[in-house]
Amino acid sequence: MHAFANPAKFLSLARPLTPWLFWLGLTLILAGAACGLFLTPADYLQGDSVRIMYIHVPAAWLGMGGWSSMAIAALVQMVWRHPLAGVAGRAIAVPGALFTAICLATGSIWGRPTWGTWWEWDGRMTSMLVLLFLYFGYIALARASAEQAGGIGDNGGVSRVTAIFALVGAVNLPIINRSVVWWNSLHQGPSITMRGSTIDSAILWPLGLTMMGFSLWFGAIVLMRMRAILAQNKVEARLARRAREA
Amino acid sequence: MNHWPFIIAAYALTALGTLGVSWTSWRAMRSAEARADALRKEH
Amino acid sequence: MKSKHQRLILALAALVAIIAAGLLAASALKDEAAYFYVPNDVKTKGVEPGKAVRLGGMVEKGSLRHEADGVTIRFTVTDGKAQVAVTFKGIAPDLFREGSGVVAEGAFDTQGTFVASNLLAKHDERYMPREMEGMQYDETTHQMKGAPKP
Repeated sequence: MHAFANPAKFLSLARPLTPWLFWLGLTLILAGAACGLFLTPADYLQGDSVRIMYIHVPAAWLGMGGWSSMAIAALVQMVWRHPLAGVAGRAIAVPGALFTAICLATGSIWGRPTWGTWWEWDGRMTSMLVLLFLYFGYIALARASAEQAGGIGDNGGVSRVTAIFALVGAVNLPIINRSVVWWNSLHQGPSITMRGSTIDSAILWPLGLTMMGFSLWFGAIVLMRMRAILAQNKVEARLARRAREA
Repeated sequence: MNHWPFIIAAYALTALGTLGVSWTSWRAMRSAEARADALRKEH
Repeated sequence: MKSKHQRLILALAALVAIIAAGLLAASALKDEAAYFYVPNDVKTKGVEPGKAVRLGGMVEKGSLRHEADGVTIRFTVTDGKAQVAVTFKGIAPDLFREGSGVVAEGAFDTQGTFVASNLLAKHDERYMPREMEGMQYDETTHQMKGAPKP
């Protein structure tokens, strides 16, 4: 772990990795989407609208996975004081919020032809909307604390309060996951569980491609944003030193 | 009901969002790294 | 080293406490946050007539009747334990069908019939191609059973 504590070491790995993740991810997304749009059969009940699943499910997974990673980064930041943990947490927030929004939007579009409604306040949809607001809160908090500190500084501008917010917000994750089991909801129960999948393999298989593709692409975006924060930090540090010398 | 307009809307929205964030993230990274490099070379 | 362990224990203890509190609150909400009543809730708890509620369950097979006026439908919603008669005037969603899930918004009349003002189709977590409709899903093996339709 501490091999990456040095930002220079991290950058020597992140620089070549970024384009690989990006293009590999994009290729897998396009392949999965093409297969899901044109090759797989329609669902017996939902018809063609089931094809929205190939983007809705990866978006849900990354929206929730993003916050899990931010919570882990916050823990690492507070306990081990790892200099890159805050940078990572802050870099995840924007793509995490994006995927949560995509999950909500595609779910809404999917709900209209299948359930007969754009939006209902059921447990799953409400808790997912809460996650989106949590992301907005984190982004605003991180920005405000960086501004107050007069620059990005250590931890990528993620103050202790922001890190604690990421940890506390993680409470929402098991609630989202269990919402369709605990409460009578319009959203169906989980299809893919530890015991197997209730989605027939003829419909399921492109989902693996888009899941993998969006995850790699998410990684590429996080690396880009981390590199941007580190470079910006370097600029700020240099300018500050120059001002002191002058 | 024809489902294809809904499917196309969902995919288009996803493409727009993901490409938008890729573009802004890449631009932010490029400009920040270019500034850092320029400052280092000045010294 | 010691302070790092202290911070770790403190952070984990706080995390456990927060999650426990969140789950406690969520489970306390359990009955309140239910999106709809199932027929058995109606039978055991009772819902007063005229109160706007949602009723969810399966449309019982063979219970769907179309009225002579062409827009009113009658059917029975069941959860396996109790049944509720429902009437609805309007256009049902595409996925509304016998043996499938439904969520009806409306209120009970004084005779105990649920008068729905809106119907939402609720599908389950099974997804399969059209050719496989009518086949049985095996809960224990997670496989489809039965021959496909010709």
